[in-house]
Amino acid sequence: MVRYVTGRVGQAALVLWAAFTVSFILLQALPGDAILIKFLNPELGLGPAQIAEIRASYGADNPLVVQYVHALTNFLTGRFGYSIHAGVPVSDLIAANLAPTLWLASLGFLVAVILALVLAAISALTPFSWLRSFIQSIPSLFVSTPVFWLGIVLIQIFSFQLRLISVINPGPWEAFILPVLTLAVPISAPLAQVLMRNVDDVLTEPFVAVARAKGASHRQVVWRHVAKNAVLPTLTIGGILFGELLAGAVVTEAVFGLNGIGGLTQQAVNNQDIAVLQALVVFSAFAFVVINLAVDLLYPVFDPRLKARTGAVA
Amino acid sequence: MQGGTLIYLEQQAHTNLYSPAGGFYPNGGILNQITDKLTYQNPETLEIEPWIAESWTVNTDATEYTFKIRKGVTFSDGTPLDAAAVAKNYDTFGRGNKDLKLPVSEVINNYDRSEVIDPLTVKFYFRKPSPGFLQGTSVIGSGLVSLSTLALPYEALGDATKIIGSGPFVVAGETLGRELTLKVRADYNWGPAKLEHQGRAYLDAIKYVVTPEDSVRIGALLAGQADIIRQIQAYDEKQVEDEGYLIYAPSTRGVNNSVVFRPDNALVSDVRVRRALLHATDTDEIVSTLFSPHYPKATSIIAKTALGYVDLSSKLTYDLDKAKALLDEAGWKPGPNGLRQKDGKVLELSAYESLPQPQNKETLQLVSQQWGRIGVKLNVLTADSGSATVNNLDPAKAPVSPAMVGRADPDVIKSQYYPTNRNVLLQKGGNSDKVQAFVDDRLNALLDKVASEPDHGKRLAIAGEVQNYVIDQAYAIPIFEEPQAFAAAPYVKGVAFEAVGRPSFYGTWLAPRR
Repeated sequence: MVRYVTGRVGQAALVLWAAFTVSFILLQALPGDAILIKFLNPELGLGPAQIAEIRASYGADNPLVVQYVHALTNFLTGRFGYSIHAGVPVSDLIAANLAPTLWLASLGFLVAVILALVLAAISALTPFSWLRSFIQSIPSLFVSTPVFWLGIVLIQIFSFQLRLISVINPGPWEAFILPVLTLAVPISAPLAQVLMRNVDDVLTEPFVAVARAKGASHRQVVWRHVAKNAVLPTLTIGGILFGELLAGAVVTEAVFGLNGIGGLTQQAVNNQDIAVLQALVVFSAFAFVVINLAVDLLYPVFDPRLKARTGAVA
Repeated sequence: MQGGTLIYLEQQAHTNLYSPAGGFYPNGGILNQITDKLTYQNPETLEIEPWIAESWTVNTDATEYTFKIRKGVTFSDGTPLDAAAVAKNYDTFGRGNKDLKLPVSEVINNYDRSEVIDPLTVKFYFRKPSPGFLQGTSVIGSGLVSLSTLALPYEALGDATKIIGSGPFVVAGETLGRELTLKVRADYNWGPAKLEHQGRAYLDAIKYVVTPEDSVRIGALLAGQADIIRQIQAYDEKQVEDEGYLIYAPSTRGVNNSVVFRPDNALVSDVRVRRALLHATDTDEIVSTLFSPHYPKATSIIAKTALGYVDLSSKLTYDLDKAKALLDEAGWKPGPNGLRQKDGKVLELSAYESLPQPQNKETLQLVSQQWGRIGVKLNVLTADSGSATVNNLDPAKAPVSPAMVGRADPDVIKSQYYPTNRNVLLQKGGNSDKVQAFVDDRLNALLDKVASEPDHGKRLAIAGEVQNYVIDQAYAIPIFEEPQAFAAAPYVKGVAFEAVGRPSFYGTWLAPRR
């Protein structure tokens, strides 16, 4: 187990370094840079001589290798630098955006999981085939609902018409109700779909027939035998979706005016704010690595056959 | 009247709050409440009136300015706003600070040095006549800040809590990118001397909430969750006014929203081609289709309310026959696909959309349709900021460009056109290394004179000459006078705007809601 985890941590470090390096190269390859965008911007109206001076003071025209080594050493020593666009330390920016993202992502994911479970349970347990086919068509509807539209409709109805929830100066929980709903709908769709498909697949397996032959009711079969087997692939999908949520729910954040990693990323990309982007890329890579690791470690809990492979038995 | 919190919805988060970066409207909306300026430009008369400076004298060739500072003014950290502090502010704005990466201010030209004559008297010296400086001391980019703020590096000035001014409000706290709270300074007693309201501001606090989505800002205002919002598009105005809410659309009093040409590109180097396109542009149609009465049709390159304005509407007529004749004369004949051609080349131009300008893409698309009527193609391009910035500096890639800038002084014309300033025409020797040859010495000489003629009357006359010259050369097609559009609830009283449309909440108060 220890060896397995050490190996995985080593892989993770490699992934993070690769993410840093690849993003550095890609960002350098883009036309223009943050300083150009910031200072050629009409808000300052600077002349060419002044811009040249600023470029020199930021070291923006140093050889790429020098810039790369400089950026990497700063990064390794925990100095993430400043955002050229916002004029604040990158660490402050990430701190201001991380907590809302974690809340939004966790709550959104939780609600999505509940939604998916409810849908899958109804579909598996209902004796009416019309209800089952209706439930099974819901994920397609959910996944094709534009988040942007859903968010605005929810705001219009619950905040502006019914005036139940305030979007501008909301309480700490109030702030999350509508965005979480908005986010949960599309996220629940693939979860529900995979879960339903797997339940149907597992129901055709021979051991289910055995269970039935022993006299188990449909409900018992589904809960005791099928659910556990159907949940594995869903766990993988869930891990990926949660990673995506952490990397940002840009549209939801923009509609509700929430701070978040997604909006921060979008802004940083727009302004080619390299220091911010590098930190975000590494952060997102880190989130994915951790979640995938967690999912892999969870597998053996659900499926004892996998224990040997991860060495969890020893 | 006193008391209450004003909820202000902003479209974008503020960026760097270094005073000279106050031109960006989200920044200006904050800086205008927390900083004072040496002088106050009356937004109606455009006269310069006393504020932190009680009085001033200027020598005859406008190279020396002496200001007498009002007594007893302090920054919110308790340090005095005296001659030494003013001198340090202007040394920084006028010369920049390389070690701290602080850039110079666009509005201060030819700055040499300051001299503290006594604790309340400061004198500035200029290398060349700088008649625009007095007005420059009144603008948003000249907000005075404490020495502790000036000692910070540029990269740290995006944190609003670090900006220590002497204004009627003080930054109480902020959530980066989301919210900012200002609270009143109870001991404030040095507002512009000629204003009716004196003493502390009426409001107790102002809360800025960044709300990027248009429909959410408007909906929140109408639902009573906010008091005033910035940025409302012309097509949304009616919905707000029908509910009894108010639209404020103060003019930006500078260079009008225009499209400009880059004559370095051979396709538009011929003045007849540019003139043809000017006469093929139906500004009435643009204004009536896309905008509202708050966006007056342009009648010169600067706004009617700008200093030195001359009415050039007779030169800006929509005349398709004339346009076609001019293109024929220049040798551009209609080709098989309806597009004009000459020596195997097609008259096909491109322009990049400018995001900060209202409905700029729609405007350019309408211009494109109109030019299509005389067989000229205009491609309206959208790109990421990096590519757009780089390509817009290349006359070959962007022979046409949208342009505007606000400032209530004739210097603004120089800012816009001069090669070492904003250089919208892309002359050689400016911010673009892609320009082959284009320079207009006559234009530049006129612009130099606008910025350096000490006699006010003569200066305005030269400003008139420049306007005529730019239109005669058809370097620019002015479209409309750009306002800053705000919407407010009817109970919000006493909302004022500085000369270029940034809100001032010093005299604002909240009447009881119905």
